[in-house]
Amino acid sequence: MSGLLAEVSAFLFHEARLLDARRWHEWLELFTPDGMYWAPLTHDQPDPVNHVSLFYEDALLRDVRARRLEERRAWSQQPVTQAARIVGNIIVLSAQDDVVVVGSTFHMLEWRRQEHRMLGGQYTHTLRRSGEGWRIALKRIDLINREGVQDTLETFL
Amino acid sequence: MDAAQDLAGLVQPDRVHKSVYTDPAIFELEMARIFGRAWVYVGHDSQIPNAGDYHQALIGRESVFMVRAPDGAVHVLFNRCPHKGSKLVAFPDGNAGKFLRCPFHGWSFRCDGGLHSVPARAGYDGTAFDEANPDFSIRRVPRQASYRGFVFASLAADGEDLEMFLGGIRTSIDNFCDRAPQGEVEVAGGVFRVWQHSNWKIFFENLNDTSHPMVTHESSVNAARAEYKSLPAGGPMPFKLHIIEGNGEPYEFWDKLEMVGYDRGHSFMGAIFKPPTDPVSLAHIETLKAAYGEARTQEILQIQRHNSIIYPSCSPHTSFQQLRVIRPIAVDRTLVEIYTFRLKGAPPEVFQRAVVYANVVNSPSSNVMPDDIEVYNRAHEGLQTDGGDWVSLHRDAGRDRAIPGGFTANGLSELPMRNQFRAWAEYMSAGEGR
Repeated sequence: MSGLLAEVSAFLFHEARLLDARRWHEWLELFTPDGMYWAPLTHDQPDPVNHVSLFYEDALLRDVRARRLEERRAWSQQPVTQAARIVGNIIVLSAQDDVVVVGSTFHMLEWRRQEHRMLGGQYTHTLRRSGEGWRIALKRIDLINREGVQDTLETFL
Repeated sequence: MDAAQDLAGLVQPDRVHKSVYTDPAIFELEMARIFGRAWVYVGHDSQIPNAGDYHQALIGRESVFMVRAPDGAVHVLFNRCPHKGSKLVAFPDGNAGKFLRCPFHGWSFRCDGGLHSVPARAGYDGTAFDEANPDFSIRRVPRQASYRGFVFASLAADGEDLEMFLGGIRTSIDNFCDRAPQGEVEVAGGVFRVWQHSNWKIFFENLNDTSHPMVTHESSVNAARAEYKSLPAGGPMPFKLHIIEGNGEPYEFWDKLEMVGYDRGHSFMGAIFKPPTDPVSLAHIETLKAAYGEARTQEILQIQRHNSIIYPSCSPHTSFQQLRVIRPIAVDRTLVEIYTFRLKGAPPEVFQRAVVYANVVNSPSSNVMPDDIEVYNRAHEGLQTDGGDWVSLHRDAGRDRAIPGGFTANGLSELPMRNQFRAWAEYMSAGEGR
Protein backbone atom coordinates (compact mmCIF):
# COMPACT_ATOMS: atom_id res chain seq x y z
CA MET A 1 0.00 0.00 0.00
CA SER A 2 1.45 3.34 -1.01
CA GLY A 3 2.06 5.97 1.61
CA LEU A 4 -0.81 8.18 0.46
CA LEU A 5 -3.30 5.31 0.18
CA ALA A 6 -2.35 4.08 3.66
CA GLU A 7 -2.71 7.58 5.03
CA VAL A 8 -6.18 8.27 3.61
CA SER A 9 -7.33 4.74 4.47
CA ALA A 10 -6.39 5.33 8.09
CA PHE A 11 -8.32 8.60 7.95
CA LEU A 12 -11.47 6.90 6.59
CA PHE A 13 -11.27 4.14 9.21
CA HIS A 14 -10.91 6.74 11.94
CA GLU A 15 -13.89 8.64 10.57
CA ALA A 16 -16.00 5.47 10.46
CA ARG A 17 -15.09 4.71 14.05
CA LEU A 18 -16.17 8.16 15.24
CA LEU A 19 -19.52 7.80 13.47
CA ASP A 20 -20.15 4.28 14.77
CA ALA A 21 -19.43 5.56 18.28
CA ARG A 22 -21.78 8.56 17.85
CA ARG A 23 -18.89 10.89 18.63
CA TRP A 24 -20.55 13.55 16.46
CA HIS A 25 -18.67 16.59 17.64
CA GLU A 26 -15.28 15.02 17.05
CA TRP A 27 -16.49 13.99 13.61
CA LEU A 28 -17.64 17.57 12.84
CA GLU A 29 -14.07 18.70 13.53
CA LEU A 30 -12.87 16.60 10.60
CA PHE A 31 -14.41 19.05 8.12
CA THR A 32 -12.87 22.20 6.68
CA PRO A 33 -14.90 25.29 7.74
CA ASP A 34 -16.55 25.40 4.29
CA GLY A 35 -16.76 21.62 3.97
CA MET A 36 -19.98 20.06 2.64
CA TYR A 37 -21.78 16.82 3.34
CA TRP A 38 -23.86 15.67 0.36
CA ALA A 39 -26.00 12.62 -0.37
CA PRO A 40 -27.67 13.01 -3.78
CA LEU A 41 -31.20 11.69 -4.27
CA THR A 42 -30.83 10.37 -7.80
CA HIS A 43 -28.21 8.65 -9.92
CA ASP A 44 -27.94 11.49 -12.39
CA GLN A 45 -28.53 14.43 -10.05
CA PRO A 46 -27.03 17.49 -11.73
CA ASP A 47 -26.38 19.57 -8.62
CA PRO A 48 -27.44 20.02 -4.99
CA VAL A 49 -28.89 23.52 -5.45
CA ASN A 50 -31.63 22.99 -8.05
CA HIS A 51 -32.55 19.48 -6.94
CA VAL A 52 -33.51 17.99 -3.59
CA SER A 53 -30.92 15.79 -1.84
CA LEU A 54 -31.04 13.30 0.99
CA PHE A 55 -28.39 15.46 2.66
CA TYR A 56 -26.85 18.73 1.60
CA GLU A 57 -25.43 20.15 4.78
CA ASP A 58 -22.93 22.87 5.55
CA ALA A 59 -21.30 23.34 8.96
CA LEU A 60 -24.43 25.05 10.32
CA LEU A 61 -26.82 22.23 9.39
CA ARG A 62 -24.38 19.49 10.42
CA ASP A 63 -24.10 21.19 13.79
CA VAL A 64 -27.90 21.31 14.16
CA ARG A 65 -28.14 17.61 13.34
CA ALA A 66 -25.46 16.69 15.89
CA ARG A 67 -27.20 18.80 18.53
CA ARG A 68 -30.58 17.25 17.80
CA LEU A 69 -29.26 13.69 18.01
CA GLU A 70 -28.29 14.45 21.62
CA GLU A 71 -31.56 16.09 22.63
CA ARG A 72 -33.39 14.28 25.40
CA ARG A 73 -36.72 14.61 23.60
CA ALA A 74 -35.62 13.48 20.18
CA TRP A 75 -38.48 10.96 20.11
CA SER A 76 -37.12 9.08 17.14
CA GLN A 77 -33.86 8.54 18.99
CA GLN A 78 -35.54 6.65 21.82
CA PRO A 79 -33.64 4.38 21.71
CA VAL A 80 -30.80 5.82 19.67
CA THR A 81 -29.68 4.34 16.36
CA GLN A 82 -26.71 2.01 16.71
CA ALA A 83 -24.49 1.49 13.71
CA ALA A 84 -21.48 -0.46 12.55
CA ARG A 85 -19.91 0.13 9.17
CA ILE A 86 -17.20 -1.34 7.05
CA VAL A 87 -15.33 0.87 4.59
CA GLY A 88 -13.46 -0.92 1.83
CA ASN A 89 -12.32 -0.85 -1.79
CA ILE A 90 -10.50 2.37 -0.99
CA ILE A 91 -8.90 3.97 -4.02
CA VAL A 92 -7.21 7.30 -4.64
CA LEU A 93 -9.10 8.81 -7.57
CA SER A 94 -6.94 11.87 -7.92
CA ALA A 95 -4.19 13.62 -6.01
CA GLN A 96 -3.02 17.13 -6.66
CA ASP A 97 -0.97 19.30 -4.35
CA ASP A 98 -2.80 19.20 -1.03
CA VAL A 99 -6.12 17.87 -2.33
CA VAL A 100 -6.92 14.20 -2.78
CA VAL A 101 -10.16 12.57 -3.91
CA VAL A 102 -10.78 9.16 -2.40
CA GLY A 103 -13.40 6.63 -3.46
CA SER A 104 -14.63 3.82 -1.23
CA THR A 105 -17.52 1.42 -0.73
CA PHE A 106 -19.35 1.14 2.58
CA HIS A 107 -21.72 -1.29 4.22
CA MET A 108 -23.51 0.02 7.25
CA LEU A 109 -25.66 -2.00 9.62
CA GLU A 110 -28.12 -0.05 11.74
CA TRP A 111 -30.22 -1.16 14.66
CA ARG A 112 -33.08 0.63 16.35
CA ARG A 113 -36.34 -0.52 17.95
CA GLN A 114 -35.66 -4.22 17.40
CA GLU A 115 -35.03 -3.73 13.73
CA HIS A 116 -31.86 -4.10 11.70
CA ARG A 117 -31.37 -2.11 8.54
CA MET A 118 -28.66 -2.50 5.93
CA LEU A 119 -27.43 0.58 4.12
CA GLY A 120 -24.71 0.65 1.54
CA GLY A 121 -23.16 2.61 -1.25
CA GLN A 122 -20.15 4.61 -2.27
CA TYR A 123 -18.32 7.34 -0.41
CA THR A 124 -16.33 9.95 -2.28
CA HIS A 125 -14.18 12.08 -0.01
CA THR A 126 -12.45 15.23 -1.19
CA LEU A 127 -9.73 15.68 1.42
CA ARG A 128 -7.51 18.68 1.97
CA ARG A 129 -4.25 18.53 3.84
CA SER A 130 -4.02 21.00 6.70
CA GLY A 131 -1.69 21.63 9.61
CA GLU A 132 -3.76 19.21 11.70
CA GLY A 133 -3.83 16.45 9.09
CA TRP A 134 -6.50 15.63 6.50
CA ARG A 135 -9.74 17.59 6.53
CA ILE A 136 -12.96 16.86 4.59
CA ALA A 137 -13.83 19.48 1.95
CA LEU A 138 -16.64 17.32 0.56
CA LYS A 139 -18.06 14.01 1.68
CA ARG A 140 -20.38 12.62 -0.96
CA ILE A 141 -22.52 9.57 -0.19
CA ASP A 142 -24.22 7.69 -3.00
CA LEU A 143 -26.61 5.23 -1.38
CA ILE A 144 -27.47 2.36 -3.71
CA ASN A 145 -31.18 2.75 -2.88
CA ARG A 146 -31.23 6.54 -3.04
CA GLU A 147 -34.03 6.57 -5.61
CA GLY A 148 -36.23 4.25 -3.57
CA VAL A 149 -38.89 4.87 -0.96
CA GLN A 150 -36.99 5.83 2.19
CA ASP A 151 -37.40 5.20 5.84
CA THR A 152 -36.02 8.07 7.86
CA LEU A 153 -32.28 8.77 7.86
CA GLU A 154 -31.30 10.61 11.03
CA THR A 155 -27.67 10.03 11.82
CA PHE A 156 -24.73 10.87 9.60
CA LEU A 157 -23.92 8.19 7.03
CA MET B 1 -64.16 -4.95 15.80
CA ASP B 2 -66.22 -6.22 12.92
CA ALA B 3 -66.36 -3.69 10.11
CA ALA B 4 -69.83 -4.88 9.22
CA GLN B 5 -70.98 -3.14 12.37
CA ASP B 6 -72.59 0.25 11.93
CA LEU B 7 -69.83 2.46 10.51
CA ALA B 8 -71.70 5.61 11.40
CA GLY B 9 -71.28 4.81 15.09
CA LEU B 10 -67.51 4.92 14.75
CA VAL B 11 -67.45 8.62 14.00
CA GLN B 12 -69.00 11.01 16.49
CA PRO B 13 -68.87 14.80 16.42
CA ASP B 14 -65.98 14.99 18.89
CA ARG B 15 -64.36 11.54 18.87
CA VAL B 16 -63.67 8.56 16.61
CA HIS B 17 -63.35 4.88 17.36
CA LYS B 18 -59.78 3.54 17.18
CA SER B 19 -60.77 0.84 14.68
CA VAL B 20 -60.96 3.41 11.86
CA TYR B 21 -57.15 3.49 12.04
CA THR B 22 -56.38 -0.15 12.80
CA ASP B 23 -59.03 -2.46 11.33
CA PRO B 24 -57.90 -4.02 8.00
CA ALA B 25 -61.54 -4.61 7.04
CA ILE B 26 -62.28 -0.90 7.39
CA PHE B 27 -59.21 -0.15 5.28
CA GLU B 28 -60.67 -2.40 2.57
CA LEU B 29 -63.92 -0.47 2.74
CA GLU B 30 -62.01 2.81 2.47
CA MET B 31 -60.37 1.57 -0.72
CA ALA B 32 -63.78 0.91 -2.25
CA ARG B 33 -65.84 3.73 -0.81
CA ILE B 34 -63.40 6.64 -0.53
CA PHE B 35 -60.69 5.87 -3.09
CA GLY B 36 -63.25 4.25 -5.37
CA ARG B 37 -65.22 7.49 -5.50
CA ALA B 38 -63.22 10.62 -4.68
CA TRP B 39 -61.19 12.67 -7.14
CA VAL B 40 -57.62 11.51 -6.46
CA TYR B 41 -54.53 13.47 -7.49
CA VAL B 42 -52.60 11.73 -10.27
CA GLY B 43 -49.87 14.19 -11.19
CA HIS B 44 -49.06 17.54 -12.70
CA ASP B 45 -49.23 18.40 -16.36
CA SER B 46 -45.57 19.52 -16.33
CA GLN B 47 -44.36 16.02 -15.47
CA ILE B 48 -45.25 14.79 -18.96
CA PRO B 49 -44.28 17.62 -21.35
CA ASN B 50 -43.62 15.47 -24.46
CA ALA B 51 -45.63 12.92 -26.44
CA GLY B 52 -45.21 9.48 -24.89
CA ASP B 53 -44.16 10.84 -21.49
CA TYR B 54 -45.87 9.03 -18.64
CA HIS B 55 -46.15 9.36 -14.87
CA GLN B 56 -47.32 6.51 -12.63
CA ALA B 57 -49.71 6.94 -9.72
CA LEU B 58 -51.93 4.98 -7.37
CA ILE B 59 -55.66 5.49 -6.97
CA GLY B 60 -56.39 3.42 -3.91
CA ARG B 61 -54.96 0.05 -4.92
CA GLU B 62 -55.14 0.73 -8.63
CA SER B 63 -51.88 1.22 -10.50
CA VAL B 64 -52.53 3.86 -13.14
CA PHE B 65 -50.49 6.22 -15.27
CA MET B 66 -51.09 9.46 -17.09
CA VAL B 67 -49.58 9.72 -20.53
CA ARG B 68 -49.21 12.52 -23.08
CA ALA B 69 -50.62 11.75 -26.54
CA PRO B 70 -49.09 13.20 -29.75
CA ASP B 71 -52.02 15.65 -29.96
CA GLY B 72 -51.12 17.01 -26.52
CA ALA B 73 -54.03 15.40 -24.69
CA VAL B 74 -53.44 13.69 -21.34
CA HIS B 75 -54.96 10.26 -20.73
CA VAL B 76 -55.21 8.43 -17.41
CA LEU B 77 -55.06 4.67 -17.98
CA PHE B 78 -54.90 1.51 -15.91
CA ASN B 79 -51.41 0.03 -15.94
CA ARG B 80 -52.54 -3.31 -17.35
CA CYS B 81 -52.29 -4.92 -20.74
CA PRO B 82 -55.70 -6.27 -21.86
CA HIS B 83 -53.97 -9.35 -23.33
CA LYS B 84 -52.42 -11.19 -20.36
CA GLY B 85 -52.54 -8.51 -17.69
CA SER B 86 -48.91 -7.46 -17.59
CA LYS B 87 -48.13 -3.99 -16.30
CA LEU B 88 -47.23 -1.76 -19.22
CA VAL B 89 -44.98 0.92 -17.74
CA ALA B 90 -42.26 0.26 -15.20
CA PHE B 91 -40.67 3.49 -14.01
CA PRO B 92 -42.30 6.14 -11.82
CA ASP B 93 -41.74 8.50 -14.77
CA GLY B 94 -40.60 7.75 -18.29
CA ASN B 95 -41.27 7.92 -21.99
CA ALA B 96 -43.17 5.13 -23.69
CA GLY B 97 -42.22 6.15 -27.21
CA LYS B 98 -44.72 6.51 -30.03
CA PHE B 99 -46.84 3.61 -28.84
CA LEU B 100 -47.28 1.84 -25.52
CA ARG B 101 -45.87 -1.60 -26.21
CA CYS B 102 -46.46 -4.45 -23.78
CA PRO B 103 -43.15 -6.11 -22.75
CA PHE B 104 -44.74 -9.58 -22.68
CA HIS B 105 -46.21 -10.31 -26.16
CA GLY B 106 -45.81 -7.02 -27.96
CA TRP B 107 -49.37 -5.79 -28.21
CA SER B 108 -49.13 -2.07 -28.78
CA PHE B 109 -51.47 0.77 -27.94
CA ARG B 110 -51.98 4.41 -28.75
CA CYS B 111 -51.51 6.92 -25.94
CA ASP B 112 -55.27 7.14 -25.49
CA GLY B 113 -55.22 3.42 -24.65
CA GLY B 114 -56.71 2.27 -27.95
CA LEU B 115 -55.31 -0.93 -29.47
CA HIS B 116 -52.83 -0.19 -32.25
CA SER B 117 -51.62 -3.61 -33.31
CA VAL B 118 -51.12 -7.22 -32.26
CA PRO B 119 -48.36 -9.45 -33.67
CA ALA B 120 -49.38 -12.34 -35.97
CA ARG B 121 -52.82 -10.83 -36.45
CA ALA B 122 -54.07 -13.62 -38.73
CA GLY B 123 -54.40 -15.96 -35.78
CA TYR B 124 -57.31 -13.89 -34.51
CA ASP B 125 -59.28 -14.06 -37.79
CA GLY B 126 -62.62 -15.66 -37.22
CA THR B 127 -62.35 -15.42 -33.41
CA ALA B 128 -64.22 -13.14 -31.02
CA PHE B 129 -61.19 -10.83 -30.92
CA ASP B 130 -62.30 -7.38 -32.08
CA GLU B 131 -60.16 -4.25 -32.30
CA ALA B 132 -63.26 -2.12 -31.83
CA ASN B 133 -64.21 -3.82 -28.57
CA PRO B 134 -62.83 -1.80 -25.64
CA ASP B 135 -62.01 -5.06 -23.85
CA PHE B 136 -58.99 -5.27 -26.16
CA SER B 137 -57.73 -1.78 -25.39
CA ILE B 138 -56.12 -0.42 -22.23
CA ARG B 139 -58.91 0.47 -19.83
CA ARG B 140 -59.28 4.15 -19.15
CA VAL B 141 -59.86 5.43 -15.64
CA PRO B 142 -63.58 6.33 -15.72
CA ARG B 143 -63.17 10.06 -15.13
CA GLN B 144 -60.25 12.48 -15.34
CA ALA B 145 -60.04 16.24 -15.12
CA SER B 146 -57.43 18.84 -14.42
CA TYR B 147 -57.43 22.11 -12.54
CA ARG B 148 -54.68 24.59 -13.49
CA GLY B 149 -52.41 21.72 -14.52
CA PHE B 150 -53.13 19.47 -11.52
CA VAL B 151 -54.54 16.23 -12.93
CA PHE B 152 -57.07 14.26 -10.88
CA ALA B 153 -58.99 11.07 -11.68
CA SER B 154 -61.91 9.20 -10.21
CA LEU B 155 -62.63 5.48 -10.38
CA ALA B 156 -66.37 6.26 -10.22
CA ALA B 157 -68.17 6.75 -13.52
CA ASP B 158 -70.63 9.19 -11.95
CA GLY B 159 -70.38 11.96 -9.43
CA GLU B 160 -69.74 15.64 -8.98
CA ASP B 161 -67.20 17.29 -11.25
CA LEU B 162 -63.67 18.17 -10.10
CA GLU B 163 -64.33 21.85 -9.40
CA MET B 164 -67.39 21.02 -7.33
CA PHE B 165 -65.34 18.42 -5.45
CA LEU B 166 -62.53 20.89 -4.73
CA GLY B 167 -64.93 23.60 -3.58
CA GLY B 168 -63.25 26.28 -1.50
CA ILE B 169 -59.83 24.61 -1.51
CA ARG B 170 -59.49 25.67 -5.15
CA THR B 171 -58.25 28.95 -3.70
CA SER B 172 -55.10 27.18 -2.48
CA ILE B 173 -54.35 25.79 -5.95
CA ASP B 174 -55.13 29.21 -7.43
CA ASN B 175 -52.77 30.97 -5.04
CA PHE B 176 -50.09 28.34 -5.69
CA CYS B 177 -50.23 29.16 -9.43
CA ASP B 178 -50.86 32.90 -9.06
CA ARG B 179 -47.56 33.21 -7.19
CA ALA B 180 -45.88 32.46 -10.52
CA PRO B 181 -45.49 35.60 -12.65
CA GLN B 182 -46.60 33.47 -15.61
CA GLY B 183 -49.53 32.01 -13.66
CA GLU B 184 -48.23 28.45 -13.97
CA VAL B 185 -46.11 26.08 -11.91
CA GLU B 186 -44.02 23.08 -12.91
CA VAL B 187 -42.67 20.07 -11.06
CA ALA B 188 -38.88 20.25 -10.77
CA GLY B 189 -35.94 19.15 -8.69
CA GLY B 190 -36.81 15.54 -7.87
CA VAL B 191 -39.19 13.81 -5.50
CA PHE B 192 -38.70 12.35 -2.04
CA ARG B 193 -40.56 9.10 -1.40
CA VAL B 194 -41.06 8.15 2.25
CA TRP B 195 -42.63 5.27 4.16
CA GLN B 196 -44.82 5.89 7.15
CA HIS B 197 -45.62 2.80 9.23
CA SER B 198 -48.98 4.11 10.27
CA ASN B 199 -52.49 4.64 8.95
CA TRP B 200 -52.87 7.28 6.23
CA LYS B 201 -55.40 9.30 8.22
CA ILE B 202 -52.89 9.93 11.01
CA PHE B 203 -50.76 11.92 8.57
CA PHE B 204 -53.72 13.78 7.10
CA GLU B 205 -54.79 14.85 10.57
CA ASN B 206 -51.28 15.97 11.39
CA LEU B 207 -51.01 18.31 8.40
CA ASN B 208 -53.25 20.90 10.06
CA ASP B 209 -52.54 19.89 13.66
CA THR B 210 -51.29 23.04 15.37
CA SER B 211 -50.93 21.60 18.84
CA HIS B 212 -48.21 19.10 17.91
CA PRO B 213 -45.26 21.23 16.62
CA MET B 214 -43.90 22.52 19.93
CA VAL B 215 -44.13 19.03 21.47
CA THR B 216 -43.28 16.63 18.64
CA HIS B 217 -40.50 18.86 17.32
CA GLU B 218 -38.92 19.94 20.59
CA SER B 219 -35.62 18.29 19.66
CA SER B 220 -35.10 20.13 16.37
CA VAL B 221 -36.44 23.43 17.76
CA ASN B 222 -33.98 23.24 20.66
CA ALA B 223 -31.13 22.33 18.34
CA ALA B 224 -31.90 25.23 15.97
CA ARG B 225 -32.18 27.69 18.89
CA ALA B 226 -28.92 26.50 20.43
CA GLU B 227 -27.24 26.82 17.05
CA TYR B 228 -28.54 30.37 16.64
CA LYS B 229 -27.21 31.28 20.07
CA SER B 230 -23.78 29.98 19.07
CA LEU B 231 -23.65 32.41 16.13
CA PRO B 232 -22.28 35.96 16.46
CA ALA B 233 -24.93 37.90 18.40
CA GLY B 234 -27.33 40.34 16.77
CA GLY B 235 -27.56 38.79 13.31
CA PRO B 236 -30.85 37.66 11.78
CA MET B 237 -31.71 33.99 12.16
CA PRO B 238 -30.57 32.18 8.98
CA PHE B 239 -33.45 30.88 6.84
CA LYS B 240 -32.33 27.27 7.39
CA LEU B 241 -32.71 27.69 11.14
CA HIS B 242 -35.85 29.81 10.95
CA ILE B 243 -37.86 27.10 9.18
CA ILE B 244 -36.87 24.55 11.83
CA GLU B 245 -37.28 26.90 14.77
CA GLY B 246 -40.76 28.06 13.65
CA ASN B 247 -42.26 24.90 15.13
CA GLY B 248 -41.35 26.18 18.57
CA GLU B 249 -43.82 29.06 18.58
CA PRO B 250 -46.05 29.12 21.68
CA TYR B 251 -49.70 28.04 21.75
CA GLU B 252 -50.95 31.67 21.60
CA PHE B 253 -49.19 32.08 18.25
CA TRP B 254 -50.86 29.06 16.71
CA ASP B 255 -54.26 29.92 18.12
CA LYS B 256 -54.26 33.21 16.21
CA LEU B 257 -53.89 31.47 12.84
CA GLU B 258 -56.86 31.11 10.56
CA MET B 259 -58.22 27.57 10.28
CA VAL B 260 -60.72 26.78 7.52
CA GLY B 261 -62.38 23.48 6.63
CA TYR B 262 -64.43 22.83 3.50
CA ASP B 263 -66.79 20.06 2.46
CA ARG B 264 -65.20 16.76 1.33
CA GLY B 265 -62.56 16.99 4.07
CA HIS B 266 -60.44 19.77 2.58
CA SER B 267 -58.89 22.45 4.79
CA PHE B 268 -56.06 24.92 5.19
CA MET B 269 -54.27 26.76 7.97
CA GLY B 270 -52.85 30.27 7.84
CA ALA B 271 -49.14 30.81 7.26
CA ILE B 272 -46.82 30.40 10.21
CA PHE B 273 -43.95 32.39 8.72
CA LYS B 274 -44.07 36.18 8.76
CA PRO B 275 -44.68 38.14 5.54
CA PRO B 276 -41.31 37.89 3.85
CA THR B 277 -38.98 40.87 3.56
CA ASP B 278 -35.79 39.00 2.63
CA PRO B 279 -34.00 39.67 -0.69
CA VAL B 280 -35.28 36.46 -2.33
CA SER B 281 -38.90 37.32 -1.54
CA LEU B 282 -38.47 40.95 -2.54
CA ALA B 283 -37.03 39.96 -5.93
CA HIS B 284 -39.94 37.55 -6.37
CA ILE B 285 -42.44 40.28 -5.50
CA GLU B 286 -40.87 42.57 -8.10
CA THR B 287 -41.46 39.98 -10.82
CA LEU B 288 -45.07 39.65 -9.67
CA LYS B 289 -45.61 43.40 -9.81
CA ALA B 290 -44.16 43.50 -13.32
CA ALA B 291 -46.55 40.75 -14.40
CA TYR B 292 -49.73 41.65 -12.50
CA GLY B 293 -49.42 45.23 -11.29
CA GLU B 294 -49.33 46.48 -7.72
CA ALA B 295 -52.94 45.86 -6.68
CA ARG B 296 -53.22 42.31 -7.98
CA THR B 297 -49.80 41.46 -6.49
CA GLN B 298 -50.96 42.58 -3.06
CA GLU B 299 -54.12 40.50 -3.49
CA ILE B 300 -52.04 37.42 -4.28
CA LEU B 301 -49.61 37.95 -1.40
CA GLN B 302 -52.35 38.61 1.10
CA ILE B 303 -53.18 34.92 0.90
CA GLN B 304 -50.51 33.35 3.12
CA ARG B 305 -51.09 29.69 3.90
CA HIS B 306 -49.21 26.87 5.53
CA ASN B 307 -50.43 23.34 4.66
CA SER B 308 -53.60 22.94 2.64
CA ILE B 309 -55.34 19.58 2.48
CA ILE B 310 -57.03 18.17 -0.59
CA TYR B 311 -58.62 15.12 0.97
CA PRO B 312 -57.89 12.23 0.52
CA SER B 313 -54.82 12.43 -1.70
CA CYS B 314 -52.57 15.48 -1.41
CA SER B 315 -51.43 18.57 0.45
CA PRO B 316 -49.99 21.68 -1.20
CA HIS B 317 -47.76 24.16 0.62
CA THR B 318 -48.29 27.26 -1.48
CA SER B 319 -45.67 29.61 -0.07
CA PHE B 320 -42.80 27.09 -0.34
CA GLN B 321 -44.04 25.48 -3.58
CA GLN B 322 -44.45 21.96 -2.38
CA LEU B 323 -47.00 19.21 -2.84
CA ARG B 324 -47.13 16.14 -0.68
CA VAL B 325 -49.00 13.19 -2.17
CA ILE B 326 -50.40 10.60 0.23
CA ARG B 327 -50.97 6.99 -0.90
CA PRO B 328 -52.45 4.48 1.55
CA ILE B 329 -50.72 1.13 0.94
CA ALA B 330 -52.08 -0.94 3.83
CA VAL B 331 -53.92 -0.23 7.07
CA ASP B 332 -50.54 0.39 8.74
CA ARG B 333 -48.46 1.57 5.79
CA THR B 334 -48.53 4.87 3.91
CA LEU B 335 -46.42 6.15 1.04
CA VAL B 336 -45.80 9.89 0.94
CA GLU B 337 -44.30 11.60 -2.10
CA ILE B 338 -42.90 15.12 -1.72
CA TYR B 339 -42.75 17.19 -4.90
CA THR B 340 -41.18 20.61 -5.31
CA PHE B 341 -42.48 23.07 -7.90
CA ARG B 342 -40.95 25.95 -9.82
CA LEU B 343 -42.97 29.15 -10.19
CA LYS B 344 -42.71 29.96 -13.90
CA GLY B 345 -41.21 33.39 -14.39
CA ALA B 346 -39.93 33.79 -10.82
CA PRO B 347 -36.19 34.26 -10.07
CA PRO B 348 -34.23 30.97 -9.75
CA GLU B 349 -33.50 31.75 -6.09
CA VAL B 350 -37.19 31.30 -5.27
CA PHE B 351 -37.06 27.71 -6.50
CA GLN B 352 -33.71 27.12 -4.78
CA ARG B 353 -35.27 28.26 -1.51
CA ALA B 354 -38.09 25.76 -2.01
CA VAL B 355 -35.43 23.06 -2.45
CA VAL B 356 -33.83 24.10 0.84
CA TYR B 357 -37.23 24.00 2.57
CA ALA B 358 -37.89 20.49 1.24
CA ASN B 359 -34.44 19.28 2.30
CA VAL B 360 -34.45 20.87 5.74
CA VAL B 361 -38.05 20.38 6.85
CA ASN B 362 -39.85 17.69 4.90
CA SER B 363 -37.29 15.19 3.65
CA PRO B 364 -36.98 11.71 5.21
CA SER B 365 -33.46 12.76 6.18
CA SER B 366 -34.41 16.12 7.70
CA ASN B 367 -34.11 16.97 11.38
CA VAL B 368 -37.86 17.52 11.55
CA MET B 369 -39.72 14.66 9.89
CA PRO B 370 -38.21 11.72 11.84
CA ASP B 371 -39.95 12.88 15.02
CA ASP B 372 -43.26 13.11 13.11
CA ILE B 373 -42.87 9.61 11.71
CA GLU B 374 -41.95 8.30 15.15
CA VAL B 375 -45.04 9.72 16.85
CA TYR B 376 -47.33 8.51 14.04
CA ASN B 377 -45.81 5.08 14.52
CA ARG B 378 -46.32 5.23 18.28
CA ALA B 379 -49.92 6.34 17.75
CA HIS B 380 -50.57 3.46 15.39
CA GLU B 381 -49.09 0.98 17.87
CA GLY B 382 -50.84 2.48 20.87
CA LEU B 383 -54.21 2.43 19.12
CA GLN B 384 -53.95 -1.35 18.84
CA THR B 385 -53.84 -1.84 22.61
CA ASP B 386 -56.82 -2.35 24.88
CA GLY B 387 -55.96 0.84 26.72
CA GLY B 388 -59.01 2.62 25.34
CA ASP B 389 -61.41 2.66 22.42
CA TRP B 390 -61.69 6.30 21.40
CA VAL B 391 -59.56 9.08 19.94
CA SER B 392 -60.37 12.58 21.15
CA LEU B 393 -61.25 15.43 18.77
CA HIS B 394 -62.58 17.68 21.52
CA ARG B 395 -60.39 20.77 21.20
CA ASP B 396 -62.79 23.65 20.44
CA ALA B 397 -65.50 21.17 19.43
CA GLY B 398 -68.92 22.75 18.98
CA ARG B 399 -67.39 26.18 18.29
CA ASP B 400 -66.79 25.85 14.54
CA ARG B 401 -68.38 28.78 12.69
CA ALA B 402 -70.21 28.08 9.44
CA ILE B 403 -69.01 29.80 6.24
CA PRO B 404 -70.15 29.10 2.68
CA GLY B 405 -69.07 25.53 1.86
CA GLY B 406 -67.49 24.82 5.23
CA PHE B 407 -66.41 26.03 8.64
CA THR B 408 -63.80 28.25 10.23
CA ALA B 409 -62.24 28.32 13.69
CA ASN B 410 -59.34 29.49 15.82
CA GLY B 411 -55.91 28.11 14.95
CA LEU B 412 -55.65 25.54 17.72
CA SER B 413 -59.05 24.08 16.95
CA GLU B 414 -59.22 20.43 15.89
CA LEU B 415 -61.70 21.51 13.24
CA PRO B 416 -59.66 19.99 10.35
CA MET B 417 -59.77 16.54 11.98
CA ARG B 418 -63.50 16.72 12.66
CA ASN B 419 -63.95 18.02 9.13
CA GLN B 420 -62.04 15.07 7.67
CA PHE B 421 -64.15 12.61 9.59
CA ARG B 422 -67.33 14.36 8.50
CA ALA B 423 -66.25 13.64 4.90
CA TRP B 424 -65.03 10.16 5.83
CA ALA B 425 -68.43 9.26 7.27
CA GLU B 426 -70.19 10.60 4.17
CA TYR B 427 -68.03 8.53 1.83
CA MET B 428 -68.24 5.41 3.98
CA SER B 429 -72.02 5.50 4.31
CA ALA B 430 -72.58 6.16 0.59
CA GLY B 431 -71.54 2.70 -0.60
CA GLU B 432 -69.05 1.73 -3.24
CA GLY B 433 -67.98 4.24 -5.82
CA ARG B 434 -67.99 1.76 -8.68
